[in-house]
Amino acid sequence: MSVVEIKNVSKIINGKRIIDSLSFNVEEGEVFGFLGPNGAGKTTTIRMIVGLIDISDGDIYICQQSVKKNFEKAVQHIGAIVENPEMYKFLSGYHNLLHYARMTKGVTKEKIMEVVELVGLTDRIYDKVRTYSLGMRQRLGLAQSLLHDPKVLILDEPTNGLDPAGIREIRDHLRMLARDRKMAVIVSSHLLSEMEMMCDRIGIIQGGKLVDVQLVKDFVGTSEKIYALEVNKKEHGLEIIREKFPQSQAVINHLHIEGTFSKEEIPAIVRMLVEADINIYSIKEISKTLEDRFLEVTGREEQ
Amino acid sequence: MTQLIRNEWMKIWRRSATIVMVGILALAVAAIGVFTKYQENGLTVPDNEDWKHGIELENKGYKEQLKDENLPEESVNYYKKQIALNEYRIQHNISTNTDYSAWDFISDSSQLISLAALFTIIIAAGIVANEFTWGTIKLLLIRPISRTKILLSKYITIILFGLFLLMVLFFVSFLLGAVLFGLPKESYPYLAYSNGTVKEINMIVHLMADYGFNSISMLMLTTMAFMISTVFRNSSLAIGVSIFLMFMGSTATMLLASRFEWAKYILFANTDLLRYFDGVPMVSGMTLTFSVVMLILYFCLFHFLAFFVFNKRDVAA
Repeated sequence: MSVVEIKNVSKIINGKRIIDSLSFNVEEGEVFGFLGPNGAGKTTTIRMIVGLIDISDGDIYICQQSVKKNFEKAVQHIGAIVENPEMYKFLSGYHNLLHYARMTKGVTKEKIMEVVELVGLTDRIYDKVRTYSLGMRQRLGLAQSLLHDPKVLILDEPTNGLDPAGIREIRDHLRMLARDRKMAVIVSSHLLSEMEMMCDRIGIIQGGKLVDVQLVKDFVGTSEKIYALEVNKKEHGLEIIREKFPQSQAVINHLHIEGTFSKEEIPAIVRMLVEADINIYSIKEISKTLEDRFLEVTGREEQ
Repeated sequence: MTQLIRNEWMKIWRRSATIVMVGILALAVAAIGVFTKYQENGLTVPDNEDWKHGIELENKGYKEQLKDENLPEESVNYYKKQIALNEYRIQHNISTNTDYSAWDFISDSSQLISLAALFTIIIAAGIVANEFTWGTIKLLLIRPISRTKILLSKYITIILFGLFLLMVLFFVSFLLGAVLFGLPKESYPYLAYSNGTVKEINMIVHLMADYGFNSISMLMLTTMAFMISTVFRNSSLAIGVSIFLMFMGSTATMLLASRFEWAKYILFANTDLLRYFDGVPMVSGMTLTFSVVMLILYFCLFHFLAFFVFNKRDVAA
């Protein structure tokens, strides 16, 4: 079931189309990654979904409620962190949560403590937010967005400025929320490797237009992979490989010979090189990352 | 709505600056109290048995003055008022021999309303602008609550905060006045003069009214600061403009009023409603109704601007 439906949404500022007829859906229980270079319109789109920015054209539906016409009903299903989780520094973590809890009906004190437990802030929740580390603020931000059991969770650059442990923590939380609580999660980021690990599906936005929406599996993985071979006679090796596997597009890249092969072809290559008296020091698989795909897709658009 | 107001109230009181404000206000009352007490020892009120004779002489003097045809209108009004009040005292046997008491002290410390106004303006100037500066506005506006309600709750909180400061001022003055100067031995009324007649008014009612009228400019300036804060998202600007106008507004208006008729449409020509009960209007021909209408118009204008801009604004920063 589509929890978030974005239909032909445009945003015009000073006569300029910042977002141009954007349409996509996000399903229950899925983590949707929103990817794009800086200034592509990720944040603008997210702000339109949560109602911080007016929608110039088109509409957004959250659980069948229009954000444009029925803001309060639509937004009650959303929990969000927009950019950095800015909290009231002079209040304790608990009072920050209490503040937001009071703004939605039916959030009890027990619920607050339950969420605090979930994000692992129980020990420090009565300390002033001023004393929190960035990771703790991020967790408090997450707690704030989960208070009312939203159906949609929207996080704008959730891993910004976090250390690897913090990033991992957020990632695990998101996966768990999508899987166990059937939430639809929308994450925007420019950290491509992160998106690869976090998301089920990825939408690439560029210049205010949606360029591509794909499952991460399809996006990254194909049966042929790039292998790098470290050998002593590179030129000679390359010649042999090119001769036998012309479709591999083998090239010399720094110290390696790189080419696209299937797994089954590797033993044959090794045998050939050994017979030609070339020493092999290593063979590595270079998985094609989201980054490469991303640059491919966005680069293609530019041409 | 109550929950929203509780939130705003919490955000005001959990900052130490607010506590300091209340402290300063209480200290200022204490300073005035100590100063007055110290001064009072020098000039004890004489137990004048012959007070009636005294004010009769006073009236004679005033009447002499009134014969002068070149006397400015303001002085004429002042003398007429004093004569009427004195005659009323003689008729109704209300002695002038009253010691300085807690009531007088409360009346004196009503000067500090401008200090309370200053603090309220500072809070009002920050209540919207700070949310933008802190970046918390984003998390505040993505709740299932309309922006109008959020802004309204902020304004109501400001009004409550202003009232709270006035109450602090009133009660601290009352307590301190009672301790330092004592309560009057017998209650005596306040004599009010308007349109040539004298009326007796209960002292507490008079003091409340006094505070109320003095608070009108505080209300208007606070509303203005709130509007500037909302429209320009800049608390310094809101504080600066409002405080500048608080101190300079009525002086500047007075200067303009002596030359131009249209000065009566300026906000500050209308904030002091006591003029219509105890004095002369800034521009002749102005009436109480005119001023009240002007005040309401300004009030609505400020609110219209604040709510319109707040509802339309794209939160992009």
